[in-house]
Amino acid sequence: MTVVHKTVMESGTAIGQALARKEDDRLLRGGGLYVDDACALRQFAMAVARCPFPHARIRHLDVRAAAALPGVVHILTGTEVQCLTNPITVLRPVPGAPMLPYYALAQEYALHEGHAVVSIVAQSRAVAEDAIELLEIDYEPLPHVTDMTRVLDPDAPVLHPQIMTSNLMASKTDYSGNPRAKLAEAALVDYDRFFVNRVAPLSMEPRGVLASWRSGARELDFRSSTQVPHLVRKQLAEALRLDEGAIRVVASDVGGAYGMKLGLFPEELLAAVHAMHLGHPVKWIEDRMEYFRASTHGRESFHDMTIGTDDQGRILAIINEYTNDIGAWNSPFGSSQLSSVTFTGPYHVPDAQVCRHVVLSNKTPIGAYRGYGQPEVNFAREVLLDRVARKLDISPLDIRRRNLLRPEDLPWRTPSGAVYDNGDYLRPLEMLAGATDYEAHFDRPRRPRADGRIVGIGLSSFVERTGYASARFLARRGSHFGAHESVTLRANRSGGIDLYTGVSTCGQGNETAFAQICAAVTGVHYDAIRVHAGDTAQSPLNTGAFASRTLIAAAGALKQAGDAFRDKTLRIAAMVLQISPEDLSIAKGLVHSVREPDRTITLVDVFNRAITGQGIPEGLEPGLETTAHFEPPEASFSFGSAAAVVAVDPETGDFDIERFVFVHDCGVAVNPLLVEGQVRGALVQGLGAALSEELRYDRETGQLINGSMMDYFALTCSDVPKIELMHTEIPSDVTTFGVRGVGEVGTIPPAAAVANALCDALRDYGVAFSALPLTPETVWRALQNVRNKGETP
Amino acid sequence: MSDSSNQIEICFEINGRQVTQTVPVRMHAADFLRHQIGLTGTHLGCEQGICGMCTISVDDRPVKSCLMLAVQLDGAKVRTVESLAPDETELHPLQAAFKRHHALQCGFCTPGFLMLARSFAGRRMNRAEIAEEISGVLCRCTGYEGILRAIEEWLPGTWTDASLSDEAGQ
Repeated sequence: MTVVHKTVMESGTAIGQALARKEDDRLLRGGGLYVDDACALRQFAMAVARCPFPHARIRHLDVRAAAALPGVVHILTGTEVQCLTNPITVLRPVPGAPMLPYYALAQEYALHEGHAVVSIVAQSRAVAEDAIELLEIDYEPLPHVTDMTRVLDPDAPVLHPQIMTSNLMASKTDYSGNPRAKLAEAALVDYDRFFVNRVAPLSMEPRGVLASWRSGARELDFRSSTQVPHLVRKQLAEALRLDEGAIRVVASDVGGAYGMKLGLFPEELLAAVHAMHLGHPVKWIEDRMEYFRASTHGRESFHDMTIGTDDQGRILAIINEYTNDIGAWNSPFGSSQLSSVTFTGPYHVPDAQVCRHVVLSNKTPIGAYRGYGQPEVNFAREVLLDRVARKLDISPLDIRRRNLLRPEDLPWRTPSGAVYDNGDYLRPLEMLAGATDYEAHFDRPRRPRADGRIVGIGLSSFVERTGYASARFLARRGSHFGAHESVTLRANRSGGIDLYTGVSTCGQGNETAFAQICAAVTGVHYDAIRVHAGDTAQSPLNTGAFASRTLIAAAGALKQAGDAFRDKTLRIAAMVLQISPEDLSIAKGLVHSVREPDRTITLVDVFNRAITGQGIPEGLEPGLETTAHFEPPEASFSFGSAAAVVAVDPETGDFDIERFVFVHDCGVAVNPLLVEGQVRGALVQGLGAALSEELRYDRETGQLINGSMMDYFALTCSDVPKIELMHTEIPSDVTTFGVRGVGEVGTIPPAAAVANALCDALRDYGVAFSALPLTPETVWRALQNVRNKGETP
Repeated sequence: MSDSSNQIEICFEINGRQVTQTVPVRMHAADFLRHQIGLTGTHLGCEQGICGMCTISVDDRPVKSCLMLAVQLDGAKVRTVESLAPDETELHPLQAAFKRHHALQCGFCTPGFLMLARSFAGRRMNRAEIAEEISGVLCRCTGYEGILRAIEEWLPGTWTDASLSDEAGQ
């Protein structure tokens, strides 16, 4: 194991230490500050009336009875919204797609169940909800399409006929080499269509906003549950036609986000419009029924995957054509593009092609969700690769061994132009093989155990793109944000540092990791660093917490700002102590001489001198505050392999995951505690999507069938299998401190590992799985299929 | 019907102090505690009794407070997450165990887990039993492992008579 930076500086921490989190005490005491925990004097509450149909024309709308209800103070309809606001802008457009005018309320046509139609502000939420019942809305239901394989049929209704002639938003092909020619040479070509389920990111805190307008000052104070306060501010300014300077966005504690809370939502904009009209603060807290219908969903897609190999199982070409169904609108974060970046996975495939289609349907919009294209394509590729291995009579372990990129192949450019940085992809696979005793396991006959169950093992190898490859890369794709992060470090009179970041606190432990790096770089004690996160009025402009990129970019900013902060601290101390700055060090609240540790000055003294400008070197500017912006030169790729061991009952299809082993490299771990938390959390989300989560729409009515906590099955504690984690730690050569991102990787391999394990257990039956989730019913149906064909053993 | 039209006065004990309040009859207990009493540590995730983050203690039993009306608190002894820590510097042993084991990330579900787990004090439960019992609260961040480890570590400390009476007295 290589550890590059041993910056132990008596600062209460070092990079790599498993410190307890700064965030924990307040959250454990119930002292967090989530949106609904804040309240403003004389605040009103907002509720939203939503279309119950998947597609409808609003023939007539009468709000008079609702407006007459005592306690109702303001009502907005689509007409007012069109006058008062611009459509919500997109942060990450789908390249090549037309702009869809996404107003906060439906304009004549509602395009999915849950589409906001009227918003009502009243003395309380209960009154606002009562008023919704009094609205008279005459809907004319229109033909709808919710099946993603049918949206391009000639008879499918076109969702945006004024702008588009079909429901195809955009298509994009990337390729390298000559994959078609290679397929023609291949000894074996296998193909299938893989269906990836629509799921809910399911943050425990739903969306919410508290918007306050000070009309005398013409200033909007906007408290929101968001991952990207500075980007929400930008979108608000655009939609409300205000200067950004008039808007302050604050995200204090955010109760989970997972990519869903990226950008401005219609309801948030509505709250601001109401507040500006009324001159009263307006709060909107989403209820869970709204969440399922009107936030954003994740994942839904189908992948047509083709793999061609030689007779030894060496991959000659991969062709992946896939369709992302993004629902009725292009949400602020567009469609997942990472399937195109990582479709060849960790393998050596010079000849490959990927084609993405982005389509619309009468369903809730799809937004970013943890992994964002990577779990989807990983499922298709890894399951098909196992089928290839089986047909060639090669073990799934060996086919991966033969194809994984070797350290000397890296950096490796994929067809989409992404560059994998350094790594050793084989090592995690070998560790996994050892830990699971794979070969012995695989060679055993698949006979039922005493309990009637058959055991199987399945593998899944992966890469995860973490961070962005520069602002130039983003600019080429039309993204309205950069690849950098920024921090401000400001000395305070108590001898501590106020650390300001635009990254809001969503659970990843950024307050901890930022303070930890700041302490390691400056020497100021970890406990003396207070992190102020997520307030646009305090923090330097930044990008935000998403794409597993925060720490990759922020580590560089913290290093630069920390170095400058330390230099100035030492210069002031050097003058007082009459010792050269090179001979000084910072520890335990003191600057001390390295040679004569008794010669010291307190940081309180140094910082007060700097703050007052009294008693500092001639010519040195007063103040002790440093800001740095840092853009990593490249994205970094995490990598690894996972295995699932399942025991399946061939009669009923019921199965358990008896082991789940995950071996992974995320470079240098700033805090191993946080890394384990991120990996486990993402794995369980990935397992949930693989095993039980699925948002289902009724084909006939176009309505969401299971849009409540009661009907949507996120994993509970007793559903989670035993998970074993192992790590390698190869520092990335493109990031500060060698870190790689870690937030999303766990979502990537579970589905394929479980599918492959089920196929392995049932290999004598010859079943195959091409759709998620994998439930006992799925397994039973697959077995019935085989039995009906008379092919059972 | 408006909020103010139908109200009832209730008297109950919250985190050790007696309170008399007038509550709208259709307000649930969680909304009441959060918005009228000002104890915002109890969170709401679904308001249909599934997610469990609103779990509080009513007469020493864990209750999902979104499924209870505020008027039902009349005469009850109620405890919320704010009652756990002895003061502003020290944590309750269960909270400290959560911190040690990284049993929370975004923290939104945490009060629910704490108030549920606290009710296990004095019980002898193995890992599987703990897992089963805490399945009434959802967590989307941690994958539950840290929560299980924290409760496993804390629980044996509640088995002595002294800590039992201490727990009961809290």
